[in-house]
Amino acid sequence: MTWLALCGLGYCQQTGPPQLAKDPGAFLPASDFPEDKVPKAVAGPAPHLPDGRPDFGGNGAWYPGFNGNLAETTWKGVKSADQHVDVPFLPWTLNTYNERVENRSKDDPEARCLPVGVPRFMFDPYPFQIIQTTNQVLFVFEGDNYLWRIVNIQATGSTHPKNLKPTWLGDAVGHYEGDTLVVDVTGFNGLAWLDQAGHATSDKLHLTERYTRTDSLTLKYEVTIDDPAAYSKPWTAFNTVHWRPGMELMESICQEDEKSSRHMIGK
Amino acid sequence: MKYFVFLAALVVAHAQIPRLADGHPDLGGDGVWLPAHVPDLALNANIPFQGWARAKFQANNAAKQDDPVLGCLPPGVPRIMLMARPIQIVQTPNRILFVYEGGAHVWRQVWMDGRDHPKDPNPNWLGHSIGHWEGDALVVDSVGFNDRTWLDDAGHPHTERLHVTEKYTRTDAMTMKYDVTIDDRGAYLRPWTSSSSLSFHPGEKLEEDICLDKISK
Repeated sequence: MTWLALCGLGYCQQTGPPQLAKDPGAFLPASDFPEDKVPKAVAGPAPHLPDGRPDFGGNGAWYPGFNGNLAETTWKGVKSADQHVDVPFLPWTLNTYNERVENRSKDDPEARCLPVGVPRFMFDPYPFQIIQTTNQVLFVFEGDNYLWRIVNIQATGSTHPKNLKPTWLGDAVGHYEGDTLVVDVTGFNGLAWLDQAGHATSDKLHLTERYTRTDSLTLKYEVTIDDPAAYSKPWTAFNTVHWRPGMELMESICQEDEKSSRHMIGK
Repeated sequence: MKYFVFLAALVVAHAQIPRLADGHPDLGGDGVWLPAHVPDLALNANIPFQGWARAKFQANNAAKQDDPVLGCLPPGVPRIMLMARPIQIVQTPNRILFVYEGGAHVWRQVWMDGRDHPKDPNPNWLGHSIGHWEGDALVVDSVGFNDRTWLDDAGHPHTERLHVTEKYTRTDAMTMKYDVTIDDRGAYLRPWTSSSSLSFHPGEKLEEDICLDKISK
């Protein structure tokens, strides 16, 4: 009985691989996306700022395209994350994930114009730019509501203020390790989904993000998801985001005449 | 003694306008700008309303529940500069970015690369903005607005013909003067001006404030 109660609360060990809901299949025409993901420009060496830091900016924008599942290499008929991950679900996150996949992500907060969240913005089809100042890294997005995100650079690594107010994007502090920007994020509200498929989070979520521009057109991304209230151990997801030379961001206000979410009825 | 050092520091801070390597004023720095709250852009002046615009202003003013910002839509320009919500300004060689805590968690870009406005801009909430320096003043010229925002809390209306000229002058380390000209021949008989100011708050950071959190639960 105790075992059942604890299991219900998510404290028992999984036996065998978790039964994951199936990929709902290609509802996006594959032809809409592949050319978005791989630009035709010829890559040069990764640029650097005058002081030697990696330069994540320039005349253009980063565009992830649609990567619906950060733990699968294909999702809804197109390339998704770079690597498959056996996600160490707790029972409640497995159930939530399966429910969301099966009901076609009908309760997706991002579809209601709420912030796309971290790390999801690195997997969703919103172009963005990265602007580096001495003590900050500013991310500006075209979607969902012309969103921005600020990472505060700390010379001594990660120190978050105490008693953080829970937020969608969390409190982000970063530092450079050679050519990699490392960002430590905590203080989340637990409402954001990690991806469109529906990997859930709690307010205990702690992320370590690693951004590396491996050549002028390529941004390699690794994110370690450490959320002891949602997953039995930390796990890491990977994606590659491509540079679109010359791309400029246009204002996009999701909340303007938003009429889509009422039609999202699942199945 | 501590108090004296503090005062002396304040005097020094006031005396200097921080500058970038290229000599232009640095509108950024480690901190945020807090604009004064200006509920009514008219500042008691006589506004050269066209007839319909006066009626629309009076209707808006009497129907604050119709204020578009209550639906979490972006406040538009110049209202986003009048709401007493923190702002950060980030200068890059070819554009200046304004990052706003209040309103709808939006940002705005001012092109400094010498380009012109597009011929037929898609009307939007924050317009299309190009800027240049006039001495130490950043002058921002914006067109391409939709007609769905109010110019201020009071409800001054505008049309898609709105043309806003803003002038940002950092007069010392702690202060910025803000002058704005409203030119909208669809709503007003001639251009009219207003002004406000912003104060710098060193070391402070923008916080996340998602308007929809307050209305979607």
